This record gives sequence, C-alpha cells and structure tokens, in this order.
Amino acid sequence: MALFAHYQRSAALRRCALAAVPLLFLACLCVAPMLRLLAEGSAGGAGVSNTGAQSGGYSSSGFIALWQDSYLRGRLVWSLLQAAASCAMVLVLGLPVAWVLARFDFAGRSVVLRLLMLPFVMPALVASLGVLALWGPQGLAMQFFGLDLQDTPWLLVYGNVFFNLCLLVRAGVDGLGQVSSSQLAAARTLGASPWRAFWRIEWPTVRPWLVSSLCLVFLYCFSGFGIALILGGQRYATLEVEIYTLVAHELKLAEAGMLAVVTMAITGAAALLYTLRESRLATPARGDALALRRPSTTLERGMVALALGILLLCCASPMLAIALRVLLAGPGAWAVLLQEDTAAALWNTLRFSGMAVCLASVLGLAHALAAQRSALVRWAALLPFVVSPITVAFGLLLLYPQWSASLPLLVAAYTLLAYPLVTQSITSALGAIPANLHRAAHTLGASPWRCFWRVTFPLILPALRRGMAFAAASALGEFAVSLFLARPEWTTLTTLIYQRLGRPGANSLNEALVLACLLVLLALAAFLALEYRPAPAARTCTPQRARPTHA
Amino acid sequence: MLELQHIYKTMRGAAGDVWPLADDLSLSVQAGQTVAILGASGSGKSTLLKIIAGLEPQDAGHVLFDGHDLAATPTHQRGFALMFQDFALFPHLNVLDNVAFGLVEQGLSKPQARQQAHNLLAVFGLDKQAAQKVWTLSGGEQQRVALARALITQPRLLLLDEPFSALDADLRSQLRREFSERIAASGIATVLVTHDLQEARAMASRGWKLDAGRLTALW
Repeated sequence: MALFAHYQRSAALRRCALAAVPLLFLACLCVAPMLRLLAEGSAGGAGVSNTGAQSGGYSSSGFIALWQDSYLRGRLVWSLLQAAASCAMVLVLGLPVAWVLARFDFAGRSVVLRLLMLPFVMPALVASLGVLALWGPQGLAMQFFGLDLQDTPWLLVYGNVFFNLCLLVRAGVDGLGQVSSSQLAAARTLGASPWRAFWRIEWPTVRPWLVSSLCLVFLYCFSGFGIALILGGQRYATLEVEIYTLVAHELKLAEAGMLAVVTMAITGAAALLYTLRESRLATPARGDALALRRPSTTLERGMVALALGILLLCCASPMLAIALRVLLAGPGAWAVLLQEDTAAALWNTLRFSGMAVCLASVLGLAHALAAQRSALVRWAALLPFVVSPITVAFGLLLLYPQWSASLPLLVAAYTLLAYPLVTQSITSALGAIPANLHRAAHTLGASPWRCFWRVTFPLILPALRRGMAFAAASALGEFAVSLFLARPEWTTLTTLIYQRLGRPGANSLNEALVLACLLVLLALAAFLALEYRPAPAARTCTPQRARPTHA
Repeated sequence: MLELQHIYKTMRGAAGDVWPLADDLSLSVQAGQTVAILGASGSGKSTLLKIIAGLEPQDAGHVLFDGHDLAATPTHQRGFALMFQDFALFPHLNVLDNVAFGLVEQGLSKPQARQQAHNLLAVFGLDKQAAQKVWTLSGGEQQRVALARALITQPRLLLLDEPFSALDADLRSQLRREFSERIAASGIATVLVTHDLQEARAMASRGWKLDAGRLTALW
C-alpha cells in the first residue's frame, strides 16, 4: 500500500512537472494578454487618454457607449448574422452530403472523404483568393455569366461555407456511422417510412455531432480574420476586421480593446458550448452500424450526383478557379516566383513555421501527457481556440510592447495558435489506448518509464505526427499574427499575398494567385503528412476486431 | 507458493455506496497447482488478480510469495504473468516482438529475445505468423500469442483473467485442453478466474467461489 502511495506521488509529481511548462506558456501568452485586453476594454476612455489616441468619446461605461454607436453595433450584429447565416447554409448543404457519404458506396468515395480534410489545412487567405477568383470582379463567374458578388454579403457567406462545409460533413458522416442498423430496421418494421425513420432514428443520433460541429463553424465564422478581411472588405467588416482597422490604421486602442472583449465573450460562449457537447460524443463505434450500399435506383444515383455537385460547387470550384487563373495568367505573373521578396517570404514562412512546429510538438506532448488525469488541464489547451488570432496578437502587442517586433514573441504567438492542435491529437490517442496494454507491459517486467517508451510512445506517434501536420498547416497559413507582430522585413507568404492584393491592376491579382498556389503546395505537403499512415499502429487488438477465421 | 493473507478490499460506487470485493480473504496456491476462482460479474475476481499482480492496492492484508511479503515489490519486479480477457497484445508490434517483449525487459538483447520467441512460436504452431501484426490474427491465434508471451519469461505465477470468454464454444474447448497441457508442462502455479464452471473444472485441481468478498471451496 505504501508502494502504491509512493507510485501515485511520483506520477503526480511527473504530471505537475510536465504541466508546468505549457501552463506557464499559456499564462504568459494567452491568459495575461486576455486580462490586459479586459483591462484595456474596461478602462474605456481612461485607457484612451493614457495612450493619447482619439477615443471617439467613450467613457468608463464604454460597453454601453459601444452599443449606442450605430456603426459598431452594426458591425457586431453583422458579425453575428453572417456567422449564423453561414451555419444555416452549412447545415442545409452539409447534412444531405454527409448522409450520402455515410450510406452509399460509389467509385471515388474514399478519395472524396480524404479530400474533405483539405480545407482543414488550407490557409484562410488562399481560400479567400479562391472565392475571389471565382466570384470576384475579375472572377470566372464574371467572365462567363457576368456575375460579380463583390460588395455583396454573399461573398463572405460563400467563403465561410467553402471553409466550413467539410467540417460539418465529416462530423455528419461520423455521427451517421453511429446509427444502429437494428434500431432502423425495427422502426421500418413498425411502419416508419424511410423519411420518418430518418427523422425519428437517424436525426436524433446525428444531431449531437451536428450541434458540436456547428459550434465550431460559428466560432470560425465569427472570429475568422483572413476571409472576413478579404471577402467582407470595409463594407461588410466583422468585429475582427474592425479591431484590426482600429489598431493598425486608426490607433484607437481603447475601442479595439472593448471590441476584443466582446469578441472573447462570444467566442468563449461558443467554445464552452462546443466543449460541453463534444464531451458527450466520446462513445465507442457501434458494432451494428449500417453497411454501405451501392446506389441502385435513379433517385439514389441522383442523390449521389447532387452531393458531389454540392461539394464541387462549394468546396472544389474556388480551388479550381485559382488553378485556372494561374494557368491563364502567363509568364508575367509566374515571374513573381523568381523575385527576391518571394524567396525571402518563403524563407520566413518556412523558418517561422518550422520553429513554431518544433515548439508546438514539445509543448503539445507535455500538455497532453499532463492532462491525462485532469479535465482542467485538458480544457486549458482549448484556451487558444477561444481567443482569435487577432485578439491574441492585439493582447500581446498591448502587454509586451517592448517585444512587439521581436522574433521570440512572433514565434511564440505562432506556437500558441498551433500547439493545441498537437495536444488535441495526442489526447485523443492517449484516451484510445486500452489500460490493459500498460498493465500487460508492467506484468511483463516493464518499469513505468520503459512502459512509456515501448508502449505509449509508439502508439501515440501517429497522433503526434498528425498533430504536427495540423500545426504546420496552421503556422504556414498564419496571417493575423504576422500582420500585427512581424517586422516589415519579415514578410511571410501570407502577408506578401495581402500586399499584392492591395496593389492595383490585374497582374497584381495574378501574382497573388501564383503566390497562393505556392502556399497551397506547402499546405498540401502538410496534408500529405497528415494523411500518410505507414502502419495503423493505434489500432487496439481485441478479439472482436480480429480476422474472423478459426485457429 | 502464493499466499493471500486476510485481504480486504472494498469498492465505492458512483452513488457513494460501498460493497466488499474481498472480506478477510485468504488463499494459498502451491507450486505447479492450478486454482480456479469462480464468481458472478462484478464479484471482484479480476480485482483479486490485479491485487496479486500488484496492479491495484488492497485495503488491508498481505500478498506473499515463497514466504516474502510483496508489499514493497512493484508489478514489474514480481515475476508474475497476467493474461487478460482481451489479450492486451501490443498492436504496434508484430507477433514475434509481442512474444519477445518480456525477455527484452529481462535484459536479453533483441536478437536473442527474438530467437527464443521464434522457438516458442514454433512450439505453438505460430512461427509462420511471426512477422504479422497481431490484429491480423484470428481470435484463437491471438489467444495463443498471449499465452506464449506470458510463458516465455518463465513466470513464477501465471494469472489468467477469463482467458477464453471472447472465443466461440468450439474454439474454447479446443484451447482449454491445449492450455491445460502447456501449463501443466511448464509446472507454473496458476490462478484462473472465470465464470464458467465447466472451464474451471477442466483446468483446475481446486475451485473456489467468490461471493460478497468471501471464498467458498467448491472442490
């Protein structure tokens, strides 16, 4: 018994030591800047007078004054409205697609499922360019149909749908995979038509998955910066864009602080709802899941065609538009690849991302191992998801003005946004390891350290690599933090694309598209690393999963 | 010889209710003897095995082996082998490395451990599957790999936790016979936990029923 107490104390000490570094990092890079922002927002007019900037007349009751400002109230309402509209569109379009992918087996289905991962690693700026290349004033839709969505709210909503539809479809496919075939058969034998069976059996099963993913979609649409900046412009600017404008162009730090606090409150609520919903989804895969079937009737084939059409229109066409525009752009635009500033931007992107991924891997692994027994430590890793990149960058700028253009702060900010992806991936893998594997290793003579090295680490290695790939994709496409914290000579590919977009002329847009292609290639490399699985080592070995042959 | 002396263990439910899994429980297992412990689900059979293996602490009492109290001996130094209901084979290792795992922990070099594992797999008729991942094997093959992994380290005590419950009836009776022969040939003291009376009678020279934390002799 004393032995067990000793072991428990040692394990607790190890967990505390592991947790110390990531928690300290979070405290300095996330919590402290948030508190600084809260102080800035609460100070209202006082904060403004300290900075000497124009306040616009906000007093200590700044939040009421903010609500009374019709322009800022309009930004807030629009931010909520576009996020809600995007959620509705994503649900209406995504659920039928998910149902088709979950129920029918057709040629290319596995490829489609894999491609659904693509938007997860696609930089927001590239996605925005794709939408512009398709629906913008110089887009393909304008050339062929005379249709230009620029300066309409639909451009931003479409961008949000493009970026988030796959998230909901993947969640829907997972959720529909949980539907019990026997329950569905029971419902049908009790007189339910296929439509009624869907509403009474399938919909209640998939609903928690959809609600959970819709929380994330709302979070991304509400707090997204790159897409909103490029596609919304000043006319349809969201709160994130407004914060950036107030800080970078108007130097109204107090107003920006108040907006950041409002943003944090809303994203915090969405993240909390997501956490509560997501924790209920940790159910094992059903043994009596419905088998996939080939579409046999005209109606079923039509449904498959419709689902693929939705994916083509909403997800693939912006990427195809970029490719087409780049092919048609000619050598004049391609020459941008040979320019000195492109090489410098590529080098900056790679080195900042590389440093961030290395740090994120160490922090993510430590955090995940420390969080095994503590829900609080596990939830702490979600904090960087709650605060948007703009809020992080603005908070860091306020808190550490002396380091605002320093490499350590820039890389730390990149790491902050990337490392929760590593933690999440490893936490899931750790949770999937059956406890008996560790017990078996111990009874076979492995000490706790040997057990980690020979059993735990090999089993979480694929998840670590997957998390690193997500982190790399996140860092490669990082835009908001670079805009706020980088020196002019530290231009990355994303900021270089943004600079090109700011220049007049069709050639500048074409150059931006070529640079976007380069960024997509880098993102694809991360995507391949993400999907590359040399061995399904994380599989558990149970009799039920074994090949059903007799000895 | 394994001796359990006055073991106490209680379990606390989610509603705060407490019930005994071991209530002044004593048991001895002689060298080369196989003892079966029967009981309903949740009666504490598996917990008792974990206490013996050092994977779970008892509230009171002593676990002794050859007269030595194991209170200060951690699991990995006890020299026991526990075979789990779900086999607990390592999915990232192939069959050969699963069997060789314990030998490497005993300090053998990997080539030596693999050679010994290969020899034992040949005895078990599994040498052709040595390079396969364990999850590609059938249930019966996985079962044999689990037993080979447990026996190769020549443990002082073999603990079997419902070893055949995941298999179908035909395979169960076939493997039961095979396992009995191999365990008898190895001469290792064995504690078998099961809820199957037929299985317990076929494999064990003594049988006990665990109910409300107390053992009652069956044969």
